[in-house]
Amino acid sequence: MGDYAVVGKSLPRVDAAEKLTGAARYTADVRLPGMLRGKILRSPLPHARIVSIDTTRAERLRGVHAVIMGRDTAGLRVAFVDTPKYPADEPPFALDRVRYIGDEVAAVAAIDEETAREALSLIRVEYEPLPAVFTAADALRPEAPLIHEFDYPGKTIWEDWGARGRPAGDPVPRTSNVAARTAVAFGDVDAGFAAASHVREDRFETVPVAHAPMEPHAAVAWFDPSGKLSMHVSSMGIFYKRFVLAKALGVPISQVRIHKSYVGGAFGGKIDVFPYEVGAALLARKSGRPVLIELSREESLTATRMDFHANVRVKTGVDRDGLITAQDIQVIVDTGAYRGSGPVVVFLCYSYNIPVYRVPALRYEGLAVYTNNPVKGPKRGHGAPFIRFAVDSHMDMLAEDLGIDMVELMRRNARDRGEVMPTSGDTLRSCGLKDALAAAARDGQWAARRRRTDWRSSERYRRGVGMSACSMFSGSPYYPFGSAAVIKLHDDGGATLFAGTVEMGQGSETTLSQIAAEELGVPLDDIRIVSGDTELTPIEFGSFLSGGAFVTGKAVRLAAADAKRQLFEMAARLLEADVRDLEARDKRISVQGAPHRSLTYAEIIALSVKHASGDPIIGKGSVKSVPDAELHPSLSTARGRWTEAYGFAAQLAEVEVDTWTGTVEVRRLVTYHDCGFPLNPQVVEGQIEGCVSMALGQTLQERIDLRQGQVFNPDFLGYRLPITHDMPAMVSGMIHSDEPYGPFGAKEVGEGAVSGVMAAVANAVYDAIGVRITSLPITPAKVMAGLDRARGGRG
Amino acid sequence: MKRLIQLTVNGQAHDLVVTPVGTLLDVLRDDLGLTGAKRGCDLGACGACTVILDGRPVNSCLTLAVEADGSDVATIEGVAAPGRLHPVQEAFAVHGAVQCGFCTPGMVLVTKSLLDECPEPEDRQIREALSGNLCRCTGYVKVLDAVRAAARRLRAREGVR
Repeated sequence: MGDYAVVGKSLPRVDAAEKLTGAARYTADVRLPGMLRGKILRSPLPHARIVSIDTTRAERLRGVHAVIMGRDTAGLRVAFVDTPKYPADEPPFALDRVRYIGDEVAAVAAIDEETAREALSLIRVEYEPLPAVFTAADALRPEAPLIHEFDYPGKTIWEDWGARGRPAGDPVPRTSNVAARTAVAFGDVDAGFAAASHVREDRFETVPVAHAPMEPHAAVAWFDPSGKLSMHVSSMGIFYKRFVLAKALGVPISQVRIHKSYVGGAFGGKIDVFPYEVGAALLARKSGRPVLIELSREESLTATRMDFHANVRVKTGVDRDGLITAQDIQVIVDTGAYRGSGPVVVFLCYSYNIPVYRVPALRYEGLAVYTNNPVKGPKRGHGAPFIRFAVDSHMDMLAEDLGIDMVELMRRNARDRGEVMPTSGDTLRSCGLKDALAAAARDGQWAARRRRTDWRSSERYRRGVGMSACSMFSGSPYYPFGSAAVIKLHDDGGATLFAGTVEMGQGSETTLSQIAAEELGVPLDDIRIVSGDTELTPIEFGSFLSGGAFVTGKAVRLAAADAKRQLFEMAARLLEADVRDLEARDKRISVQGAPHRSLTYAEIIALSVKHASGDPIIGKGSVKSVPDAELHPSLSTARGRWTEAYGFAAQLAEVEVDTWTGTVEVRRLVTYHDCGFPLNPQVVEGQIEGCVSMALGQTLQERIDLRQGQVFNPDFLGYRLPITHDMPAMVSGMIHSDEPYGPFGAKEVGEGAVSGVMAAVANAVYDAIGVRITSLPITPAKVMAGLDRARGGRG
Repeated sequence: MKRLIQLTVNGQAHDLVVTPVGTLLDVLRDDLGLTGAKRGCDLGACGACTVILDGRPVNSCLTLAVEADGSDVATIEGVAAPGRLHPVQEAFAVHGAVQCGFCTPGMVLVTKSLLDECPEPEDRQIREALSGNLCRCTGYVKVLDAVRAAARRLRAREGVR
């Protein structure tokens, strides 16, 4: 691996200078002549029927150019999941009902923010309040009000890609608030529990947390005179966004163009197509002017997407050696007023859990339940943080029951390379899980510290260590199911890479450029990348489901290899040599053993133009995210191929608990991430450190304070993100497992390391003070209550 | 209603007509097209809108434009000459302190301001100076590395002089 010139090196990011000088343009920075500002009117009630909407006064206000509401959307519904089983359920603007506080009712476009805000205050909406429910448990009661009375089957967004359709017909009455259910069973579960020498069952809970990217969501929309829509959006995949936007607006895909914007962080929260984006387009169409909608921080936090409230029950049987004989897991999530990603997360809680430990028999049920809370969506790890928190806290408890060291118990059950995942058939062609565990235990001084008191500072301050592990996909069969890339060579041997990636902080422009440079045999400086524009770049998978580097990276490598093959063929013709006898070095191709017979890349390209009908050499590459997959797998049964490679991580936390105040300080957080091969180690470290920081926020302090559907901490004063003072010493190491299907052996790194932190910290707290915390966040109040109980128990 | 104010921004004098409720951030972004200062929270809680006002870093979303009348403002666009990077910016690039970039202008300006005042900051002082600048991408690890490196670099440069 050491013989690469560009990949595997910590080269500075290609977008750094633009971002450091203020030149980088984000969506809210776009300024167009005549541009209007759009604002959204939102429901103040958690559940209500709309009796009437009167916009006449708003329309008459000077400076207002357009007002829209539900009837302007042609009755369309959009959703993250839109399949025959789970048809889209979210009208971009309310049609007859509002279902959560913040639900979109109307939108206005005016000459400035102030006028738009005043116009909103002039819209009169008469509501008839309906009974509301705010927990999954309440929503599951037979007498609970139905949050959605009907499903609306019809053409799904996937149909033109071969998904079975259901004929559009009358709305189908719903009978419960279950929005989605995943059920998986394999092996003989009853026999497995019967054969176990020890069985235990535990319950865990996590609360909603915010993505809180530093850039609030924004959209700019305008129509050109021919009627084509152009947009700048906060996205994580421009082709997915274009696809759903076109469907939502009822226009052909080729009539919608997404232009490049840098994205100021996303973490899952910018995948969905949001009502404000549909609103910006509708307002632009109606007003004939460009429209910018910039959500406030409060809107971004409360009315886009947030992470799930989850209740997890885990029951496991183990034999005398601690090997798992059977497992029974139930996950219930509150998915909010619309399905959001509920059907996906209850599938993923199974799919992200199963690659970690060998489970011969499993019963799994996942339920996503409608409530009148804000809508839930994918957040970094998408279910893995709460399922891994539950399962590895539970494993720590099993380890204690059995008198087996936790790391040893994990090692005995951990999966190895070559194993095939049940139900999906995915194969672990690379798996560095055990190596990661060993490395994290070594660097965290596990053996010297676990269950020992000799390194503690005092009776008041107690220290402990805890371990957890996790796993993550590297891209999935999800629209657009693959990526393509084009490389155009220039007169001087430099190249422009055309790739549809969205740079949202993950470093994709840099790592993809490195892949192109390596394959072409040119320095990184010779590559210029054009990205983030649906007209200028070929189709691209997107930077979600951790498929950016793995899927698009492969397409870029193929495109570069294609360009290089053409260079070699032209060189062979010009040098009158066999192509197999040629070698390339320093942008020069020469005949092996005859270095005087050589041409520079620039000369070959120039001669190619002269001799090959103007062909300047353009390379092309494309790849499917999962070549064997027909379409997406079944979310309800978890059958069907899902990914080509799994990333793994092991994480160790060292904590110090103040037994007088209950404060938990994480002193050190060791992560070893099996990312296959780090294309840019500095970028990989940055991803791990970002995961750890976000995960520590969720573990110790972050919580959206929801009461009766109302968010009580909708800003950064009430919702406190980690700051510089909160960061522990971090060790962020990489395991090279050399994934055979990845570009240069690389696989996912952007999400995995978020999911082992919660259980690692909870287990470390138990190690320090003997108090088991089973719900997040681990607050001083919970720690003190646990200490009181422990003391009471002793007394 | 409207007021006429004078601002010197990155060395250039401007006469501007502003409303009494308009913030310095509004003026920079909407009137002067200097969008390097970002609107992250509009509450003074994230630091993304940081600019240097008469030598001190401020949250421009909490500063009324009329309050800034007659002041000297430095924004991220003016930190280095066109096509060049200031040593602080260079350190951020080399040490991987930039990810999504939305907090970056504020981080750079606060760092520059810290090092102007305190060329040899202790770690505690660096963390304190940047404690009002939120970053969701980096976990601050590489940001702190970059600030330490920038301090060393600037001191070395001073030494040469």
